Amino acid sequence: MNQISRRRFLKVSGMGVAVLGALPATNFAQTRRRVVVIGGGWGGATAAKYIRLTDPTIDVTLLEPNKEFISCPFSNLVLAGIESLKNLTMNYNGLRKHGVKIRHEAAAAIEPDKRRVRVGKDSLEYDRLIVSPGIDFQWELVEGLAQAKDTVLHAWKAGPQTIQLAKQIQSMPDGGVAVMNVAPVAYRCPPGPYERASLIAWYLQSKKPKSKLIVLDANKDIVSKTGLFKAVFKGYPNLEYRPSQKVEKIDVGAKEVTTETGDKVKYDVVNLSAPQRAGAIAVEADLVGGDKRWCEVDHVTYESVKQKNIHVVGDATIGLPVPKGGNMANAMGKICATAVVHLLNGKEPSMIAPGNTCYSWVNDKEAIVVVNSYKIEGRKVVQIEQKLSPGKSVGVAQNSLAWRTSIWNDVLG
Amino acid sequence: MRNLSAVFRYAVSLLREKMFPLPLRERVKVRGSVRRTHPHLNPLPSRERRFLRFASAENFAGNSVSLLCLTIATLALVLAAAEADAGPLDSPGAQKALVCSACHGFAGNSPGDSVPILAAMAPSYFKKAINDYAAGRRPSPEMEPYSKYVLQFGLDEIADFFAVQRKQAPARGKTDPQALSRGATLASQCAACHGAHGDGDAFRAVPALQGQPAAYLKAQMDLFKGDKRKLEDADQEKTKKTMFKGLDAADFTDLAAYFATLK
Repeated sequence: MNQISRRRFLKVSGMGVAVLGALPATNFAQTRRRVVVIGGGWGGATAAKYIRLTDPTIDVTLLEPNKEFISCPFSNLVLAGIESLKNLTMNYNGLRKHGVKIRHEAAAAIEPDKRRVRVGKDSLEYDRLIVSPGIDFQWELVEGLAQAKDTVLHAWKAGPQTIQLAKQIQSMPDGGVAVMNVAPVAYRCPPGPYERASLIAWYLQSKKPKSKLIVLDANKDIVSKTGLFKAVFKGYPNLEYRPSQKVEKIDVGAKEVTTETGDKVKYDVVNLSAPQRAGAIAVEADLVGGDKRWCEVDHVTYESVKQKNIHVVGDATIGLPVPKGGNMANAMGKICATAVVHLLNGKEPSMIAPGNTCYSWVNDKEAIVVVNSYKIEGRKVVQIEQKLSPGKSVGVAQNSLAWRTSIWNDVLG
Repeated sequence: MRNLSAVFRYAVSLLREKMFPLPLRERVKVRGSVRRTHPHLNPLPSRERRFLRFASAENFAGNSVSLLCLTIATLALVLAAAEADAGPLDSPGAQKALVCSACHGFAGNSPGDSVPILAAMAPSYFKKAINDYAAGRRPSPEMEPYSKYVLQFGLDEIADFFAVQRKQAPARGKTDPQALSRGATLASQCAACHGAHGDGDAFRAVPALQGQPAAYLKAQMDLFKGDKRKLEDADQEKTKKTMFKGLDAADFTDLAAYFATLK
């Protein structure tokens, strides 16, 4: 045993000396590396935090015009009066504690050649830029919508519109018709419109039993959790689901929308989302691909395939077999953050795939869930497995509350 | 400082793993130390204890030298971390566990009431749980896909990453004192396997229940009672079934409340 001990001593003390020897090799006078993050949503806030967590020597500036973070997940519950927007609203102080510099300003433009971002009259230089711009709407694709966009609400970015739409629904007379659409894929939060439809139908069923909800889906079928939502919709006779009915025109005066098949549908309350694309800054900086809508990225580092040193995370990305949503943006934010740290330190980024957990509430107590896990294969994200809850349940709803507590903390805490 | 201590703990875990073939828990018992809280609890079956004592006596000299080396090497690692780019996430296990924090909290300290805390979890039980989810022995729409996610990386590094994290259960709401007292009485039945303090038995991959969120514990008991979660070991399964026959949902609530408050 003594011999083994000696050998072990040599081996282990050698390890210690080797590490000590490596010390002088690290660069004491390294210039401060700068990362700028555009957008403090699920992807951007997470990325900013995790860069600081992974390497506190990196200088991180987050550009986010809003002073508060409002969670899109759970905002459909506000429309049905089940949840208050206040409970979904958080501040950015947690990120400040991690040493993230926050400027509540919008990025005016990205200048990739000069590696800088213009903010008002100022400009911020970066070594790596992370863009998490979320989504914007292609208003021009629905006739009459651009002019009416202040009164015809999308409520697809949680905030003032969420509260306004809730009020519109609540003040609709019993017997009234609410109309909502589902935008053509790809759009933010694939199950979101169907969760919204379920919750509005639940609200009408309990508060305005003579009213009904018409859902005009631009897609051929329910896009996500299809079987589960079909079962849920059966429990809402006041919900009329019409597939392949892309809304092409709105006439606010006549309170009427027209679909691609020429059907005219009258409404008392309307909720429309125009087709979506990546946030405007990504389009202006030419980060979007041939479709002019979404940003293609490397699946390991989230670096744009079009612009070097610029990474894109969250709903603005395309090409990965993953849904656009908060959990995915959070996963991308973390993976991208560690990749950026590795790159800035001259290391090879780890091959880490994302995962996604997605809950949808279908009434005031029950929810359903879909979970996807992924791996990296040939430098591409590939799905390993998808699993759905067997049906709606209170247990799943309870898990969703645990999820939100945890993930909000992961994004902002 | 938080970063430094995480790096330190990680370094210790790495070296520990290299030098000692057994998990820390067993090693502590072997070397005659006592657990801070309840030294008499959760003894290993006598045969294992004898074996470990024997193994320990043989390795004593080696361990002393190893401890010295461990200190040198750890100090060096900490120094390196202090000025270089290493952070708490700069370990392979941390990288591979990146997505877990969405539900399980940073470093496995889950703030949600129905999600288990992974920080300081015995690697033996972590691995058993992942394998059980992947094999369908534990039904969960959330964990079935994620167990396969974890398996793509192998279990060792992720299990070790969580095992060395400090458990920091968040403050949860107040619990009814009567429920706690009922739970404490009922908990005597659990002690044979889970230890009288609910601290589990890493050697047999029996989970620690102490400080786990109440809703999680309750959900697991409901699954056991409903025969939806099964134990792989036939004897354990039989014991569990007999025990659960005499317990109902209200008992589960009390038990969960009790174990959740244990530290």
